Amino acid sequence: MTSSSQAGDPDTKSVRVAVSLAIPRPGGWFRSQTARRLGFGYALLAPAALYVALLVAVPFLFSLYLAVSDASVGEQMASFVGLENFKAALEMDTFWIALRNSVVFFVAAAILKSILGTSLAFLLLQNFRGKKIVRALVVIPFTLPVAISVLGWKWMYDSQFSVFNWVLSRMGLIGAYGTDAWPVWLGDPRLALIACVLVNVWRTFPFSAIVLLAGFTSVPNEVLDAAKVDGCTFMQRFHHVVVPMIFPILMVGFLFDTVFTLSDLSVVYILTQGGPGNSTQILPVLAYQIGIQAGNLGRGAAIALFLVPLLAPAMFVFLRNLKRREY
Amino acid sequence: MSTSALARPRTARQKETRRYLLIYAAVTPFVVIAVFPIYWMAITAFKQDPDLYRMDNIPFWFNMAPTLKHFHTLFYQTNYGAWIVNTMTISVWVALITLLTAVPAGYALARLRLPGAENTGIGIFMSYLVPPIILFLPLSRVVAALGLQDSWWALVVVYPTFTIPFGTWLMMGFFKTVPMEMEEAARVDGCGFLGAFLRVVLPVSVPGVLTAVIFAFTLSMQDFLYGLAFVAPGDQKPVPVGVPTELIRGDVYYWGSLMGAALLVGLPVAVLYNFFLDRFIQGITGGVGK
Repeated sequence: MTSSSQAGDPDTKSVRVAVSLAIPRPGGWFRSQTARRLGFGYALLAPAALYVALLVAVPFLFSLYLAVSDASVGEQMASFVGLENFKAALEMDTFWIALRNSVVFFVAAAILKSILGTSLAFLLLQNFRGKKIVRALVVIPFTLPVAISVLGWKWMYDSQFSVFNWVLSRMGLIGAYGTDAWPVWLGDPRLALIACVLVNVWRTFPFSAIVLLAGFTSVPNEVLDAAKVDGCTFMQRFHHVVVPMIFPILMVGFLFDTVFTLSDLSVVYILTQGGPGNSTQILPVLAYQIGIQAGNLGRGAAIALFLVPLLAPAMFVFLRNLKRREY
Repeated sequence: MSTSALARPRTARQKETRRYLLIYAAVTPFVVIAVFPIYWMAITAFKQDPDLYRMDNIPFWFNMAPTLKHFHTLFYQTNYGAWIVNTMTISVWVALITLLTAVPAGYALARLRLPGAENTGIGIFMSYLVPPIILFLPLSRVVAALGLQDSWWALVVVYPTFTIPFGTWLMMGFFKTVPMEMEEAARVDGCGFLGAFLRVVLPVSVPGVLTAVIFAFTLSMQDFLYGLAFVAPGDQKPVPVGVPTELIRGDVYYWGSLMGAALLVGLPVAVLYNFFLDRFIQGITGGVGK
């Protein structure tokens, strides 16, 4: 540690020794402690970081590669084909139908679930007896594994024994079974997409409500009281205090919903597999059918990657929001 | 005098009653919308077939005696038992992998003052947002390269791609709430870094670690795509994939068995998730363990 002083006279040497005794082992001890802390830290971090790098980051890059190759399920070798897959996708009628349906699905579902979610959040802000039970019950659609709840809806949409049709026909709103006036929810191109949207809304409106509720309850009462003392009306308080304060949380909720609604295949796949006649075809289902069922990995990857421009803005907002946050 | 004294509390009570009635009237539709499909699934699972497939009776209650026949079919004529075992085994492995990777990583990022820890944490969490639909095709190659295609082991490898990011993020937030003095005291007492982590920090972090385990389990149960894409043999599937793909045969639906199969596993998961939902929301809105 103080080894550079070989040639120095005894005086400076003794001073050095005195200093190194007064501040025990300067530099060296501290540096080795830091080195050990960092070494330990990176060792702890490595397994998770490697797992994510190898099985998320690398596959993501690999999907970019697949998209510009002619890889298929059976073939080991693939060659570079440039933007051929993207071009081929853009030339498919089904692709455009799937893109349109994905956007319609997402927008319609977003509108419905924000209306339902906001109303529910305001209700759950009230104090009433049994609130905890009500909360636990209304979030069940979100907590039930998606593939499982969609099955329940498939049964409720049954072409003959649909419980909705039973109620509607008893109310005299629809015609008899077997006639045109009997809605076949999943078999009618005009109804099937609506039926799928409703399932998504049912599944995710509790999530919207709970995220909003988390936002509302994060606004401290003191802030609201201060605004009240300063003479703000309810609307002013809502507009200038509550909304700016809950905005980041709302954005995150919106982002999650965007990612999971746009990329979800299970609702449509289990209900209709994209049918009848592509009327419920969406990008994730198409990517699956072409990539796995038809075995055209390159084309499938290209179609899945068309989701990236739809998801990117949401990701960007999320990242900015997280970085700004003090936690 | 006496009338007004009587009247005032009565109006107050009336006001209160009216408030409650309004709230309950508004809440009821939400509860019905949320719960009815589950009720409908449950009652379907216990109805006899002739009771299920008729249109003249009121369908909301049993018109014939309830039956366990559908469950009998499930366990004796399908792979349902194997799927439950698969699901449980997959979950245990995924939870174990998540624990061994996410808990140390969360600790390192939260407490060891690594350069760029914040950004690394955000980077890892961001990978939670890369949707499976983009990853499943390249991952199918990875699974094939590992020789795991057509076995539930493929899912053990793949599910941590979303449980580790979420778990790391969750644990990062959790470890930030453990007082720094505890580690310092342990270090002064002669513990090494590993000793302080294992003997002092981990024991007080049991609730956080349990939460990570629960999420490893419930998030794995939410998957459908990976199971659908990677596991083809009927006896290798987990429940959420096996039920919709194997119990629906062509146009013949065994609705009673289907609903029973779905709820028997789905409901416990839903209840478990329910208890931890607030942690999930806190996790994704940024303020974990705040």
